[in-house]
Amino acid sequence: MWNSSRSNFPINRLGGRIHKRILCLVFALLCFQAAQFALMAQEFKLLDRTVQVHGFVSQGLVYTNDNNWLTMNTSQGSAAFTDFGLNMSSQVTDKFRIGAQGYDRNLGQLGQYHPSLDWAVADYRFESWFGVRGGKVKTTLGLYNDTQDEDFLRTFALLPQGVYPTDLRDATIAHLGADIYGKLSLGHRLGVLSYTVYTGHRSDSIYSGYPYYLSSFGGQIKSYGGLQYGGDLRWSTPLKGFLIGASRLNEHIAGKGLAINPFAPGTGLVPYSESSRADWTNQFYGEYVVGRFRIDSEYRRYWRNQELFSGTSESFADIRGWYVSGAYRICKRLQIGSYYSHYTISNIVAGALSAFYPPASDTTLPANHDYDKVVTGRVDLNKFWNVKVEVHFMDGYGSGPYPNGFYTQVNPSGFAPNTNALVLKTSLNF
Amino acid sequence: MKSHKLLSLVAVIVIVSPVSVIAADVKVIANGSVKADMISASEVKSVFLEESNSLRDGTHVEPVLEKDGPVHEAFLHEYLAGTDDDLQSYYRALVFSGRGSMPKQLASDAEMVAYVARTKGAIGYVSAETTVEDVKTLTIVREGNGAQRRLITRVEPDYPDTLKRLNIGGTVRLQLTIGPRGNVETVEVLGGNPILGEAAVAAVRQWVYTASRSRTVAELSIPFDSH
Repeated sequence: MWNSSRSNFPINRLGGRIHKRILCLVFALLCFQAAQFALMAQEFKLLDRTVQVHGFVSQGLVYTNDNNWLTMNTSQGSAAFTDFGLNMSSQVTDKFRIGAQGYDRNLGQLGQYHPSLDWAVADYRFESWFGVRGGKVKTTLGLYNDTQDEDFLRTFALLPQGVYPTDLRDATIAHLGADIYGKLSLGHRLGVLSYTVYTGHRSDSIYSGYPYYLSSFGGQIKSYGGLQYGGDLRWSTPLKGFLIGASRLNEHIAGKGLAINPFAPGTGLVPYSESSRADWTNQFYGEYVVGRFRIDSEYRRYWRNQELFSGTSESFADIRGWYVSGAYRICKRLQIGSYYSHYTISNIVAGALSAFYPPASDTTLPANHDYDKVVTGRVDLNKFWNVKVEVHFMDGYGSGPYPNGFYTQVNPSGFAPNTNALVLKTSLNF
Repeated sequence: MKSHKLLSLVAVIVIVSPVSVIAADVKVIANGSVKADMISASEVKSVFLEESNSLRDGTHVEPVLEKDGPVHEAFLHEYLAGTDDDLQSYYRALVFSGRGSMPKQLASDAEMVAYVARTKGAIGYVSAETTVEDVKTLTIVREGNGAQRRLITRVEPDYPDTLKRLNIGGTVRLQLTIGPRGNVETVEVLGGNPILGEAAVAAVRQWVYTASRSRTVAELSIPFDSH
């Protein structure tokens, strides 16, 4: 049947393929050597141009009292929560800059230490109000999409998962394409407008959250991605520290692979495809920073209308998330913060698969929501190294037709309605 | 000198964008390649936040910071309205998203002066008391902070007879620097007939404003109507 428990997702065991481990080790050693080099100097000269080198590494430990979370075996305590990155960039001329960053992660069953090109950009700024960048470009979506991997920039160990799901990072993190961007000063009394418009191609790793989710039904996704285009407009208002903005993302995504035929499960794997009919995200946000205090709030709505199984069925998913967060710097080395994240999903399946998927639109049910209350403390041991302690109190598990941190493969006995989590995380950057 | 009384002279004094010169604990210095002698506080902020890598006059600039210390803190407070932690997070967000680079950061005023002196386009800051050689000190003006200066003594410009007979009029735009005591220290003609400009400058130099704690740079227009 469609709800087969057999998973075809590559399992992250201690073994794994030798060449992937070697590649990961080489990348880690490169980062480590770069870190040592960086302690002496973070730049060097190449062809009479200064090249800057920067990097980061983070390691987390997660324990949950009940459900396993983010594909990790967190109910036993899991340290499968690692990522690191290394970048180089150079200002080639007054207006032209190039750079690239490599990135690697392991998050439970996701990532599995497959390094990737995080971004690689050629950026030409004609004027402050008009610039062009092209290559693999981080996508501007809300306050934190393009910096979601760099938790050393924030108080919290995990961004609100209702808006920035770390297991679904690949869905929004970057596009292979081009951006037009700029800042327009409206004068002293009206503030500054910043804009970004982009188009490109999204390509998800097969080790990311959505392919992993499909593997719970026996799916083997070989490719997942497509056209993305959108824009962002933000206003730094005349009120000092207050910013508001809006983002829009449209996409036409297709996934291809193999799957178990739910109507004839014993016949083996058959070709599987899904594609967007309508797929868009709206995000609205605001930020207020005054002295040592910061308040952020964002709302994201993701509408996903997909053809499934080569067009035999169709799904309509309405995914909404919002959060409000506050953070306070007590002193130079100590910050505290808290947020409330609210996530709901409603889904309707039409066509042949509707027999297996009744409508799921009651968002009061734990399966269709995740309300997360979080408290965090951050200690900066020095300018480059920080440690965070964070607790999550989650009501619901939002495990509908689109994943949100809770997966059946690591919760074979089903889901408890609530999950409390302790997250310890440390990160180093240079 | 012709009579100050003119038949139809209307001197409309318009203070446009009143500004105040910032007198702070730090001074902003720049490499000699930077053409401007005076820039706005908003330009300083834009450069140091990597929103712009050139000044309004088109000169390319490269921001240089001090790593820490009272001079650094004073600069951040005066021009960027933030702490060093906020600024470092801001730069790191640019670096790790591929949108910018980490500016040069130096350990002392001496290193700052030496670096700015030898680096084309460099713009940095030092203590107001630091002796600087081979670099220029920029005058920083802050726009629109309500620092209105009230004119208490006004001398009308002489309308040159020749131009008046020929019905040559027009508007002269001036930029003036008003000192703390209210006297007009400098006047620069920004536009208009040069002969009318000379007349306007001669009159405006005799104007007196109310006193203030700092200098004010103001723009004004004086129309000359021959009818």
